[in-house]
Parts: sequence; C-alpha cells; structure tokens
Amino acid sequence: MKKYIFILLTTLISLNILSAQKPDRSKPPAPGAAPEIKLSDYDRIDLPNGLKVFIVENHQLPVVSMSLVLDRDPIMEDSATGYLNIAGDLLRTGTKTRTKDQIDEETDFIGASLSTSSAGLFASSLKQHFEKLMDLASDIIINPVFKQEELDKLKTKTMSSLAASRDEPGTIADRIVKMLYYGRSHPYSEFETEKSVGNITLRLCRDYYDSYFKPNITYIAIVGDITKKEAEPLVNKYFGAWKKAEVKHFVYAKPAVPLTPRVAVVDRAASVQSVIRIGHPADLKTGSEDVIKAGISNTILGGGVFRLFKNLREKHAYTYGAYSGLHPDQLAGNFTASTSVRNIVTDSAITEILSEMKRIRTEKTEEAELQQAKNYTSGNFALSLERPETIGQFAINIERYKLPKDYYSGYLKKVAAVTSDEVRAMANKYIQPDNSYIIVVGNASEIAGRLKKFSPAGIVEFYDIYGAKYDPSLNKIPEGVNAKSVIDNYIQKLGGRDNLLKVKDRTTEMSGSTQGIPVKINVYQKQPNKLYQEVKAGAMHQKIIFNGKKGVQISIMGKQEIKGDQLEELKLEANLNAVLDYGKAGITTRLTGMEKLDGNDTYRIEFTSATGLEWYEYYDTVSGLRLRQTKTIKSPTGEISQITDFGDYKEVNGVKYPFFLSQSMGTQRIDLKVDNLKVNSNPDNGMFNIDK
Amino acid sequence: MRRTFIVLCLLLLSGLPATAQSKKIEFTEYNLDNGLHVILHENRAAPIVAITVTYHTGSKNEQPNRTGFAHFFEHLMFEGSENIKRGEFFQIVQNAGGELNAYTSFDQTVYHEELPSNQAELGLWLESERMLHLKIDSAGVETQRGVVKEERKQRLENKPYGSFMEQTFSHAYKVHPYRWVPIGSAQYIDMANLNEFMDFYKTFYVPNNAVLSISGDFDIPQMKEYVEKYFSEIPKGTRNIFRPDQVEPVQSAMVKDTVYDNIQLPAVIKAYHIPAQSAPDYYAINMLTTLLSSGQSSRFYKQIVDNDQKAVQVGSFPFSLENPGLFIAYGISNMGVNATTVDSAIDAEIKKVQNNLIDEKEFEKLKNQMENDFISSKATNIGVANSLADYFLFFNGNTNLINTEIDNYMKVTREDIEYAASRYLTKENETILYYLPKSAKTTMKGK
Repeated sequence: MKKYIFILLTTLISLNILSAQKPDRSKPPAPGAAPEIKLSDYDRIDLPNGLKVFIVENHQLPVVSMSLVLDRDPIMEDSATGYLNIAGDLLRTGTKTRTKDQIDEETDFIGASLSTSSAGLFASSLKQHFEKLMDLASDIIINPVFKQEELDKLKTKTMSSLAASRDEPGTIADRIVKMLYYGRSHPYSEFETEKSVGNITLRLCRDYYDSYFKPNITYIAIVGDITKKEAEPLVNKYFGAWKKAEVKHFVYAKPAVPLTPRVAVVDRAASVQSVIRIGHPADLKTGSEDVIKAGISNTILGGGVFRLFKNLREKHAYTYGAYSGLHPDQLAGNFTASTSVRNIVTDSAITEILSEMKRIRTEKTEEAELQQAKNYTSGNFALSLERPETIGQFAINIERYKLPKDYYSGYLKKVAAVTSDEVRAMANKYIQPDNSYIIVVGNASEIAGRLKKFSPAGIVEFYDIYGAKYDPSLNKIPEGVNAKSVIDNYIQKLGGRDNLLKVKDRTTEMSGSTQGIPVKINVYQKQPNKLYQEVKAGAMHQKIIFNGKKGVQISIMGKQEIKGDQLEELKLEANLNAVLDYGKAGITTRLTGMEKLDGNDTYRIEFTSATGLEWYEYYDTVSGLRLRQTKTIKSPTGEISQITDFGDYKEVNGVKYPFFLSQSMGTQRIDLKVDNLKVNSNPDNGMFNIDK
Repeated sequence: MRRTFIVLCLLLLSGLPATAQSKKIEFTEYNLDNGLHVILHENRAAPIVAITVTYHTGSKNEQPNRTGFAHFFEHLMFEGSENIKRGEFFQIVQNAGGELNAYTSFDQTVYHEELPSNQAELGLWLESERMLHLKIDSAGVETQRGVVKEERKQRLENKPYGSFMEQTFSHAYKVHPYRWVPIGSAQYIDMANLNEFMDFYKTFYVPNNAVLSISGDFDIPQMKEYVEKYFSEIPKGTRNIFRPDQVEPVQSAMVKDTVYDNIQLPAVIKAYHIPAQSAPDYYAINMLTTLLSSGQSSRFYKQIVDNDQKAVQVGSFPFSLENPGLFIAYGISNMGVNATTVDSAIDAEIKKVQNNLIDEKEFEKLKNQMENDFISSKATNIGVANSLADYFLFFNGNTNLINTEIDNYMKVTREDIEYAASRYLTKENETILYYLPKSAKTTMKGK
C-alpha cells in the first residue's frame, strides 16, 4: 500500500516539475526507491517414496515447466571421468517402451522441450500438454534403457569436442586450477581426457543410474500455470511408483589454501597471450551468512566493469577484459581472478591483480563505489526473476541447503545493508593474495623467468597440459644430443639405413572412421619420388597423384593441378627415404627442446623446408621412434594446428612402420589403422601418370 | 487510485485457483507531437523494465555506394552524447545492473535495455540523449571503423559458411536493395566522411521514424510522464526519409552457383522468393518451415540427419521482410557426402509436401508447435516490447496481433501449406548455392 501512495506522490511531484522546466540532462537520473520484490510463495508435496515436489504458481502464461534435481554427494569418476555426463545424455535415448524416435515424436507433438543431464531433467510445455510431458519425463527417469550404439555415438561426440579443446589455453588453465585447488583425491579436481572417455562403459553408466536415480534424494520444481491441487494427482500418478533406496554418501577432505603463493606454468610455445588465473579454494557455503556480503566484495574487485577491468583494461590496456569470481559451494567454493594478456606484460598484469586483491582488504571502499556494486548486484538479481524457473530454483535451494525461509525474499535488503567495513572484512576472509595459486598458460621461455618473484621461494612449478608436474631442469637436452643424433637413432630404431634403402616401393592400406563414416585410404609410394593416394569416405572418392614433378587431385570437382605449398608438401611425402638425408632434400633440422607427450619424454625437432614450410616432430627418448608431427596451417580463419600421432610400430621386411595413425585438425579427427603394408611389390608405373 | 484498488483485490484473491487461459497483453499506444510512436505494456510479474527503440531504417534504406551504413551507424550510437562521455554508455547500464544490446537488419535498427524497474528513468534518459544530440567525432568514427571490420571478419570471413547470407541475397536479388546485407562493404565505410554520418543521423534518427516500446514493472501514467519529459523536446525530422520503391522482377529461371570457402564439410543453400511479411501466405509459409525443420522429429531432421545420415545439419527459415523476402533451406553434408546428394534429399522432402497432403496427426503436431512458440515468445519483457514494435511497424499498424496472431495460424489449412510449398518452392523461383571446401584435399601420410 505504501508503495502506491509513494508512486502517486512522485507522479504529482514530477508533474509539477515538468510544467516548470525542462529535464536536467546533465547527469543520469537517480534511481527510484529499490523495487519491493515480492517473490511468489510455493507449495510443497511430499511423496511416501521420499520425493519432494515444489509448486510455484505463475499464471502469466499458460506454460508449465518442471526441473528434476538429484541431491547427491559429488562422485569421483577416477579413470573413466566423463561417464556421469554421458549417463545423463543417455537417459533421453530410450526407455523400456519407447525408442528414441518415439521420444522425439511425442515431445514434438506437444510442442514441448525436454533435456536430461547427469543431475536430472528439465522439461517445459503448454499447460494443456503438461500431463503428457509428465508421462514422458517420468518414463525417461524411471524406465530408461541404455544401449551400446547410443553410448558409442555420445563417446564419439565427446571425443571430437575434446580433441578440439585439448590445446585450448583457457581449457588447460581450468584443468590446472581444478587440480591445484582441490588436490588429486577430490571430485572437483577431475576432468575429462580422451583416455578417460575411452574408458567409459555402458556398465558404469547403468550402475550410476541404478545407484543414484532415487526419489528419496530428488527434488522436483513444477513452475508455471498450475496449482498444487492440479499438480498433486499428476505427481502421484507418474512418480508415485518410483522405488526409493538407500544412496551412498561420500566424505572428502577439505581443500586447503597454500601457505604461501605458488606459481604454476604450463608451457605452450605457440602462445602469443598468457592466460592467467589467480585464486584459491574458499570455504564459503551456499546460502551461508557471508555469501551476500562477500559477493559485494568480489563485485567491487572484479565484477562487471569494476576495479580489475578498470585497472587492467582501461588504465593499462593489458587486456580486453579482467574479472574475478567468488563461488560459494557446499563442498568447496573458490575465489578466482582471471584475464588474458599479451606475453610481455604477464608479470605486470599479475602484479596489478595481486595489488587490487590487497587493496580491497586494506583500504576502505568509497561509499559511491559501494553503492554502484549494490546497484549492480540488485539489478542482476531483479533481472534473474523474470524467469519463473528462478523461483523454482530458490525453493529447491532453500530446502536443499537448509536456508532461512526468507533468504531470497530478503535478498535485496541484505544487499542494501552491506557496509564498507563488511566489504573489507569479507575480503580479508575470502580473498587471499598471499595464499593464492598463480597459474599461467603461456610461452614459458618468454615469461617464466619473470614469474619467480611471485613465489617467496623463487620457484616456478611446471605442469603439462593435463596437469602432470615435471621438472624442466631434467628436461634439459642431454650433452651431445642434437637433431642429427636423434634422427640417426630413429633410423637405427626403424631398422637401419641398409634395410631402409632396400625399400623400393611401399603400399599402405589403411581404414578407420570419422564422424561415423567409414574411411579407406590406400597410398602407393615408389622410388625415386612417385606417389598415388586414394581416399574413400562414404560416397566421396578422391585421388592424388604425383609423378615426381607435378601433382593432381581428382575428385567430384574434376581434376585440379596441385600447386604452391601443397605441391611442396606432396614432394616431401613422395620422397620415400627423405629421412636418410634431409639435407639433400633441402630440409634443415634443429633440436629445439624436450616435451612430455602423454607421459613420454620426447625430443622436439623443428623442420624447415627449402621453401619455408615449417613443422615439428617429436621423438621418444626411450624407444627413439617418432610419436607426433605438428604443423600450423595458416588459413583465413586463423591458424589451425594439425596434429598427427604415430603408434603401434611393427616390422615389415626389417623396417618398422607405425600401424596406427591419428590425425586431428581443428574439430575434425580421424583414427586410422594400417590393414596391410607391403614393400617391393613393384606397382605399375602407369598409376603415377597424371595425364591419364 | 482505482488501480490500487484492483491490485488489492488481486492480492486478496491470490491463493485461489486462477484460470489457465493465456492472458491478453494489454497495451497503450500513442504518438508524441514530434511523431514518436510510443507503446507501453505494464507487467508487474518481475521488477524489471525492458525498453526498445526501433528506428524504421535498415540496410534497404542505404545507397548502393554506401552499403553497411545503417549497421555502422548502430555502432556510432554508442559513442556518446552531449551529456554522455565516450565509452560511458555501457558502463552506465552495467552499473545500474542492467543489460543492453542493439542490432541492424534489412528493415530496421533496434536498441534495447533491460533494467531493474527503479532505473526505468535512466533508460529513457539514455535513449533520448542519443536521439536528441548524439555526439560523434572523427576519433570515434575511426575506432568504430576498426571494430566493424573485426566484426565483419568474425561474423563473415572467419566463420565457416559465414558469408551465406551475403551470397544468397546477392544471387537472388537483381534490383532491390536486399541484394546487399546489413554488414555491407568495408570500403564504403572508409569512404564516408563525418558529414555524411551526421546527414544520415538527421535524416533517419528522428522521432517520426522511431517506435519506443516499453514493457515491464511500471505505472502507465508515470511512464507517460517520463516519456514526455525526455522525448517531447526532440524536434521532429524534416527531411525526406528515403524508402526504396524498386520492385524485384519475378525470377523466371533457377540461379545456381558454387562458393569456395574455408570449410570442412560441403553445404547447400536453397533460397526461394516469398511475398512480404504482411501478405496472407506469410502464415502458411511459417508453418511449412516448422513442418520441415522444427524439432528432432521434423521431416528434414528425421529423414536426412537421423535416418539417412546424409547431413549433419538441415534446416529452413523464412526471411520474411517488409518487402518480398526469401525462404531458405540449407543442409551441411555429412563427411563424405556430396552437397548435391543433400540438395536432392531436401528436394525430395519438398516434393513430398507438394504432392501429399500432411496427415491429420502431423498437422495437429504442427499446430501445437505453433501455439507453443507463439505463447513462449511472450515469456520475457524484451520479447514483448520487440514484438509490439514489430507488429506496429511491419503489419500495417496492427499492434494487437500480439494477442490475435495465433488465430491467423489456426486458420491455415493443410491445403494452404501444400499450396505454399507448390507455389513458392519451385525450380524457376530457386537460387541454389553449393558451398565447397577451398581445398577438398585430405592429406594422410603414408608414414
């Protein structure tokens, strides 16, 4: 009531002002009184099987949504990390009585949306179809059938997105953050790798479902144009028969902050920017007394366009953006500041971030800045309320985290009441520059030296892209080893110069698949430098022929001559024994360092052709064999790295050849197995004729 | 006073079961003396307000030697005003806890803010500032030239298939200004001088060429006061607003071309001329699109992606515009499948619609999907504010379509959809573009 009188008064006042003068345009109009936010109340239904259902009425639109959430302890996935996500995706792919096609058809028929995850399900439809949606949702949750073919599809999909991101510096930084903050035996430290996804089995997914999809640990929020009276019979009918069962609990050690700053670097030679993360785990539980106040401290430091942004972007122009986040969590929260800066200013940027972290702990925040942070926080809260699902989430949170009933309805009042003393106190409690991990993914040779100063002991720790620690001093190239010695050893390990020279021609037949399409590749190479390559992938058929001088490509688009860089590459490929004398082939080699590849130490050799093509090859220090070749391909869409891995070396006529090849480029990846490899079968010279 | 009474009654009533019908969107619309059209919708559900300003100017209002102008100008509108310093626009909104954005299409340029409702006045101040006295200088123009070039790279050049819109429209149109797209050509922006930008501003960024549409938690009389306070002093535009009158001649033969792009998988784009969005067939065409490509059980998806695995993605969407636009169907081939194979698969699905009436059950699914989409589009204030302005501007001032448009869909018959497919998706009305990788070469090393 008060509010409306207030509005009437302001209306009258503004009318008076208006008739008297023009608006004052010189500064932004002051905000009105903070809106009184009335959060809708919610009803609750408790089923005998332990299922807890919240009903949030919102009759704006004739739409109803349901979100189903499992409340279980985080689970360690160990060597098959990723299986929880995949189990979640598998849910929607079939039930005892419905195929995937039927689920698709029935969902679309009612114009609904429905998605599943490892922690539950979200679905939404018009009110008149809600019963049907409940029927579908309960079937998916209670009676799923997991099929191997669907698992295989999902694993392939996950693998290709991993291949695309494995070298992405932001992803690498996040892995190191998880690993250092939480330690190896904590579920928050786990991340998917190609290996772990490879280990996922149908059994694991099924066991996860069987053990944890139980009504007694489940919340459902039904939100929208529905009453408790309408929802109750539906909930009973579709979820009443769901059987309860005891669910396992887990206890994990509380992660500790480091006693002094620790500096961790992932060496990424190709980086032109350093990705920086500074932070530590934080013991801040969801909904605890401190969350709102500490949130304001973090906003002032690194929210929106606040201090970190102003300092690093606007004042110093180090970066496009710099932010910080303070994330509450029941098990283990964290504080993390993040930015990406050009190599040369890496240490300066870290200095500025740490000094801002210190400043908010020591200096009193000005009232105006505090007010801005409050406006920002209240505004974001208000905007989030537009989605009725937010209220459903609030209901679940209140129950799940045992929050006071008025936690969300009193949210803005609590924001408004935060004082600058509290901002400082909270910063001292949750933002700890002297107990932070300083994590940088970048070009170590350019930046690592200047990062020592951030560690009291002057130590920079090195990690590989999957978080395995190594000592770079052990990776110093041993005395006497150079490109020539590595390559000579490689030749020796392949079978020796004499045996290689006996190879006059070679036929390699490979098969594999990419994106579900079978691929067959046959390559014929003949001395001195002829090549014929045939690729069949589904309906596509393509040939490349090189007669020693000229090359052509034949496909549905007709015959095209290969020129430029591509021709140069072709020449190198056609040369069967270039390895025996790179100098003669116009190629210079340089040993540029040592690197770990999936746990193996390797020598990294840089190759440069006479025409300026460059690539790297990696040779195992133990077996001497070549494990990888990487190339950076320049394209108008930016630089793409093409990685080819070699494995499963087997001997044919005294010479070893890799029988497994895996090539990835951008998001594409193809694995190939050699089915047949023959030497000296003297293929007809006619096949290398480009004019036929 | 009366309103307060109603609100009290509603408060007392809450807790009782309410009706389940879709509520009517009540709105007020009127013109200020300077010609600004104002639409207000009060919605107290959440304490926020969405403000949109739509200028009835897009890329079709440009001169052929100044393409990209409207979009470039959208960037300049964030530069500042007499009272807003350069670069402050974003900060002001963000520090108020709000969000903002803008976009330029063929027909319009739209600016919008979402703010907590106690900051509504701030939003009006911001929008009126840049409508009244935008400030642009050569430094700002230089900066935005760079930004827009990066945007062009990011959206068109660096993105696989990113040029498809530019390619499709330039192939399908011969005379109408739809033959170029909003991002335009970088060279023309470089050629333009500061005076031209000011001319453009004075011609098109005038209240009589704009719609101010607001939806959210406010009191209508109060909002009217704010609108009056900030917008009434903006002078009415006096220049002639250029609106193109070229009529695209009827296409008589298929147009076919190949585009070589930095892509991994070939693709096919198929475009067909369709009537303007205010024409009667608009509704049948939209339903045809839904039939073909909405949801995992849709015709294109089920047949071409799921069952035959010929494509990784197939879709269709109507580019319904103020002047006659295009219906576009597209498919991205699966690895090892030719673009022509996908093209034929799409043709086969189109033929099915042309030759066989949809069965009752699928037709019912279609109607359910349309109803769901129509109702869900009103879930946010920004969506409502945008729709209100759109209906007013592009549907002959019929703002109330926000409540009644669904009836137009429900009137569409199965025969109407078959007719729309047969009438518009014909070979002579078609433009086909094949997207092929610049290098279709697959290099695998023998060793």
